[in-house]
Amino acid sequence: MSATTIFGSDGIVPSGIAVTGVSRAFGSVFALLDATLTVPAGSVTALIGPNGSGKTTLLLMLATLLTPDAGSIRINGHDPVTEPERVRALMGWMPDTLGSWPSLSARAALQTTGRMYRMTREQAAVRADELILLTDLTDFADRPSRVLSRGQKQRLSLARALVHSPGVLLLDEPASGLDPAARAALRQLLRRLAGDGAAILVSSHVLAELDEMADAAVYLSDGRTASPEQVAAAGASARAWRIRSLDEAALERALATPGVVGALVQVLGVDQLGTLVQVENEASAAALLHNLVLSGVPVCDFGPAVGNLEHTFLDLTRERPARHSSIVVNPEVTP
Amino acid sequence: MNKRVFLTGLWLIVTLELRQRVRGVSWYVLLGIFMLLVGIVTFLLWLATSAWLSGGGGVFSTIIFFVLLLGTLVSPAVSGNAINGDRDAGTLATTQVTLISTGQLVLGKFLAAWITALAFLAAALPFLIFAVVLGEVSLGTISVSVLVLAAELGVIAAVGVGLSGILTRPLFSIVLTYLVVAALSLGTLIAFALLGTATQQDATSVNYQVVSSTYDEQTGKQSDIVCSTAQTSTYPVPRFDYYWWILAANPYVVVADAAPGSFDENGSPTDLFGQIAVGVRGAQTAPELYTEYNGCDEAANGSVQAYGQGPTAQETYDGAVPSWFIGLTIHLLLGAGALAWAWRRTRTPATHLPTGSRIA
Repeated sequence: MSATTIFGSDGIVPSGIAVTGVSRAFGSVFALLDATLTVPAGSVTALIGPNGSGKTTLLLMLATLLTPDAGSIRINGHDPVTEPERVRALMGWMPDTLGSWPSLSARAALQTTGRMYRMTREQAAVRADELILLTDLTDFADRPSRVLSRGQKQRLSLARALVHSPGVLLLDEPASGLDPAARAALRQLLRRLAGDGAAILVSSHVLAELDEMADAAVYLSDGRTASPEQVAAAGASARAWRIRSLDEAALERALATPGVVGALVQVLGVDQLGTLVQVENEASAAALLHNLVLSGVPVCDFGPAVGNLEHTFLDLTRERPARHSSIVVNPEVTP
Repeated sequence: MNKRVFLTGLWLIVTLELRQRVRGVSWYVLLGIFMLLVGIVTFLLWLATSAWLSGGGGVFSTIIFFVLLLGTLVSPAVSGNAINGDRDAGTLATTQVTLISTGQLVLGKFLAAWITALAFLAAALPFLIFAVVLGEVSLGTISVSVLVLAAELGVIAAVGVGLSGILTRPLFSIVLTYLVVAALSLGTLIAFALLGTATQQDATSVNYQVVSSTYDEQTGKQSDIVCSTAQTSTYPVPRFDYYWWILAANPYVVVADAAPGSFDENGSPTDLFGQIAVGVRGAQTAPELYTEYNGCDEAANGSVQAYGQGPTAQETYDGAVPSWFIGLTIHLLLGAGALAWAWRRTRTPATHLPTGSRIA
């Protein structure tokens, strides 16, 4: 199988990732319990969950490294357990641990990886040069990888996952260690790959980051994927909005006036970035803004205090406080 | 996967391993020190064995043992973390998600470790050639000992790579590989010596001695012989003949026993291989548990019994069973078994994870 013909599926094979009812236990500890998700071709899906929720376990199973105890996984229609070689030919995986052969340069590492995908020496060399440009590693390409910084290693790891132009991409925390410019480049790159038809699953803790690039999100908690209903309910639940005014005193006065603040709004407090209010839903937020402007408050900033994904994430994880006592909730939002 | 694709991938892993593990100055320094040591040993042996007169057999066999010693001392450090070290460094899983199969991975790492050990043999080559030039080293000895040495180094490499795939922690697998080397090289000797001496049996010797006699100077014969009563003494003898097979598992014995014996006109071995092989094969002979010495008969017949005149070394060697192929077979099975087990443990998708291990 040539590695360059993987893009553009023939349309017969169901493309993308399909996970149905997957469970996996290590000893008596369940890492995943009945996880279900799909990542269609041509889209970016965020995989979100607290530490230890099973994200990496799920990605390892998708990457043909671990067998599920129950349930089924299909990568472009192929089962990673029974047809690992077919899956490997079309799947790129970027692990959360940054391993690289320490004495090899980035260029040599990419060429070696290309050869592992059965490219010829020449094909692998050409592809390595392309990826070095793509991930902006030109200045470091010929240094041994042990001297690379974390962000550079991260980019090398991404380049390695892309060596064989995979149609399915699994990225475990790809943005950690990247500077803002590299993050923006990563975001653009993933959008472009998705535009070319790749199915991309990204796990990350930088939820604002995912907000900007993901088409959909899968929430994982205690090894379970949240159902669409749970996600919808959590997304619609009361959330904090941040209001900033050119005249803070006027804002304070207006918020203290009963007619301005509706029944579904509750003031949470003031911090250096503005005033936080708990708003039940988007309709009451709109009403609040309307009233503030009518009262003559010079509002210059009005928006959700946390991103969509973060809000849903926090809301979903808050449902199980007993298990997640260690989760740090944004102290500004906690009443 | 066709054969060409398999071999290409296999060789890719071998070269990757070699570039990763043995590239760099320190490795060449180590080889340089090794060559220096072999050079010194060769020179001293040349003096000690008067090799310019007696030939290079002693020098040759000692260098071969020296390579075996160094190879077995260095090989575990190079091979004993081949797989679990990569897992710790995070480079194992990224290889496993490519089209490289587990078989290629394990075999490639084994071959790389073997080639590394063989580098010591290559470094010793000038000195081996020098020993051959000194003469008296047969083509059979050269080829057999070099081949068996190479096989033994391969066994250690296989055990090291195997254990690195079986055990999770690199330090533990390296130490265990050293223990396997020590068990085979020293443990067999200790077990042989201890078991042999612990299993002692009483041997009886009966003596009849001449108490008095009359000696006729003209005929040189004795008459009127008065004989003593039977003097019986018992003493314990170790039964090494029960345990000689333990030594068959010793790599040094395998190399020594495999080499075709070379003996001088007195039936004494001309190299270290021969001396060890004679010693090991001699242990196959059971000790005599009952000996009788009749001095009176001897006196009466006027002849002196050929007492204490055992068989020559060559006769012992030729009269016993060669054991090297048993030892070599055990070693090869050990190495192959370790690799097969490592293959099973490294296979992906993994069904079972050892506690506390991360596969990424």
